[in-house]
Amino acid sequence: MKKNLFTMVLVLTAVWVCNLSAAEKTLQIEGSTTVGPIADAFTEAFSQAYPDVKITVTKNGSGNGAAALVDSRCDIAMMSRFMKLDEFTAAVDKGIMPVAHAIAMDGICIIVHPSNPVTELSLAQLHDIFTGAVKNWKELGGPDMPIVAISRDTSSGTYESFDHFVMRKDKMDASIEYVSSNPQLHSRVKTTAGAIGYVGVGFLDAEVKGLKVNNVMPSKQTIANGTYPMSRPLFLFTNGYPVLGTMSHKFCVFYLSEKGQEIIEAKGFVPVTKY
Amino acid sequence: MRFIIRNITDKIFTSLTVLSVIVLVAILAVILTPILWKGFSAVVFTGTIEFRKMQLDLFNRGDIDRLNNENTSSQSCRKKIYDTIDRFKQNIDAETLCDRIARIYRNFGKELQRKDVQGAEYQRLRSLSREIRDKLETTFSSGDKKVIDENIKDVLKYKTDIGFKDTSAMELFALAEDFAADIKNIDLAKRQEYADALKDFENILTKLLGDNPSLPVPALKMDRYGATRLDIAQKNLYKLLWLEKWQQTSPGKPMAKIITPRAELFAGTEIGPLFDYIRDNLDEMLIPKRTFYWQYLIDGSTPGHYFGGVGPEILGTLLLTLAAMVFVFPIGIISAAYLAECSSDKFVIKIIRMAINTLAGVPSIVFGLFGLAFFVLYLVPLFGGPSKPCILTAAMTLAALTLPVMIRASEEAIRSVPQSYKEASLGLGAGKLRTFICVILPAALPGILTGIILSISRVAGETAPILFTGAIAFGPTPKNAFDPTCTLSYGSYDIAVGDRLASLVPHNQYGMVATLITLVFCLNIAAIIMRAKISRKLKGH
Repeated sequence: MKKNLFTMVLVLTAVWVCNLSAAEKTLQIEGSTTVGPIADAFTEAFSQAYPDVKITVTKNGSGNGAAALVDSRCDIAMMSRFMKLDEFTAAVDKGIMPVAHAIAMDGICIIVHPSNPVTELSLAQLHDIFTGAVKNWKELGGPDMPIVAISRDTSSGTYESFDHFVMRKDKMDASIEYVSSNPQLHSRVKTTAGAIGYVGVGFLDAEVKGLKVNNVMPSKQTIANGTYPMSRPLFLFTNGYPVLGTMSHKFCVFYLSEKGQEIIEAKGFVPVTKY
Repeated sequence: MRFIIRNITDKIFTSLTVLSVIVLVAILAVILTPILWKGFSAVVFTGTIEFRKMQLDLFNRGDIDRLNNENTSSQSCRKKIYDTIDRFKQNIDAETLCDRIARIYRNFGKELQRKDVQGAEYQRLRSLSREIRDKLETTFSSGDKKVIDENIKDVLKYKTDIGFKDTSAMELFALAEDFAADIKNIDLAKRQEYADALKDFENILTKLLGDNPSLPVPALKMDRYGATRLDIAQKNLYKLLWLEKWQQTSPGKPMAKIITPRAELFAGTEIGPLFDYIRDNLDEMLIPKRTFYWQYLIDGSTPGHYFGGVGPEILGTLLLTLAAMVFVFPIGIISAAYLAECSSDKFVIKIIRMAINTLAGVPSIVFGLFGLAFFVLYLVPLFGGPSKPCILTAAMTLAALTLPVMIRASEEAIRSVPQSYKEASLGLGAGKLRTFICVILPAALPGILTGIILSISRVAGETAPILFTGAIAFGPTPKNAFDPTCTLSYGSYDIAVGDRLASLVPHNQYGMVATLITLVFCLNIAAIIMRAKISRKLKGH
């Protein structure tokens, strides 16, 4: 009896392992933690419209997304920055042609603790803060309070965008604190009186205070029309332009639809299209 | 004297051991109790009508008739709020008002054409209505009470005009009269202020009660329902009633937090009394009920784990653990058998053992990267499989991670089988293989199971090795071993770093971690019971 049961379990396992239905449509998406929530939400909408398509989303950073596309481990790579030259060459060497789809706009917002009276910083001042030249809020017109500058980890796309806009290849000071995700940075700033950090516009809420940069407040309008100095597009990358009518194509152009735009807005990002 | 000292040191030793056990238990209790308790609240809580609506829509669960009854009574209670807001909005939002005026004007023009009004009369009415439209537009966008009064008086003069009688133009006058009546209570200079405050108010109200039913359904499921739990409802109610502001008290100092009632922003308007109304009627609007949501353990979830449960994650964790055990069990035992029984070269054994010990101390992320490079990118494609992360590769990576633990435990177990068993078996004419399979292995099984127990706890909780080799944040339940899967460990990580939603659903965060702890605990208990059964059998009971 026991032996029979054991055999049955074995057979069932074997059947499950070999249950390969080749006709099934799958879509594997990998990459940026910033773009991840959009892909998640698109997936939700797709699972209603196309219930027989399997979409999986893995969020492990823009760099990994690019690597996964180069290794053809995924169909669509999510990236919060453009591909770097070496990533691009690596892809082309392997016969993969990365095509970028900018699906939404994001602004990198400078956030401080709500008790901080400072309302505005210039890019140069930000540069000084993160290179360690300015160490006290007093020097920026604020209270006598040491600055606790917090940055994202160096592998994140948000870091690279900040580096591009503010640091301009200069090294960050050794006293800078690094955290590995947007929610973590947000909660760190929320609870620390002298803290300053940068997050995507979706994380700007009433619990932290967003600062004007170069006298422009980050908002949907200023990010979309580029007046906010730290706006960036968010990308999906595919190998070549996806064959028209395939799931991958539908996914990559979904942001153009009214529903796609609504989702992007609901997720706190700025849509590229406007209805 | 010596005896006394010995006695005392013994006592001190005993009390120290007892103390350390107590400290250990206390630490465990301090860490685990809140996690488990808060995790428990993901399953047992006070659910609102929004929760029941969500369950019906997303999972097709619940009593439709009763829900409809509840919904009617709750909507009738909410109607007052939405109506008041709509009316108030009308007065402060010039744009919608102007749109309405333009629409009425256009309709009136069409009506005149339909009625076939001729020549001069048509021209007169058309220009008159245009004048009214323009006057009303200036009225609505004006901030000056005097201008408004004058314009409205002008407009109302035409009300008695015979040409307008029984036409849609009468709507224009009705609108003007309404506006004149409403405007009396509103400080016009504050119009923009009101508009901003109302926007915040409406946002929080949506989080509390769900969307205004007259608006189109939002695209994302997470925006379709209000507060599904009473604790979240109360949090939102607090946000609705109280306004947090940061104010500079003295120059050069950080700003201080000031909490004022939000109602003050709307003092003197019709929105003002709404705050008390919402506070007093929250129960009627949300109809809270004690809910036992056991389906938390089988339900899938919406993105960011906003609604729903951890069903796919539990299944994925179980599958991964079992699949890893399938790899670990034979390989571990065979390697252990080699080390304990077969090898004769002491030097080789020494090197192998050193390698195994080193492997046991290698960080798990290294195994993850190894798994990506070897299993995902090399081994599976070698056999013609897709070069994509899946359960198979994740299980193999986890097996590699836990193999050292398994080998060492099994080796110890095999070594501790009395030599006489082996000698008796060999003496009766059994070969080496037969002796190992029929005599040594059964006797060593309880010890080997200890190794398995240790491996299971490790495997079920690891995140780093499966990060690149088969775990996904969001996706359907796996159909075969070549699909990637959600797991509890990676899910806990994802919920913390992935989305800004996590802070809005702390119960789900705790729920997932508590489920992981409970699952590992249950797996361990199962293995321990199995071990006890086997050892009892071995002893001949």
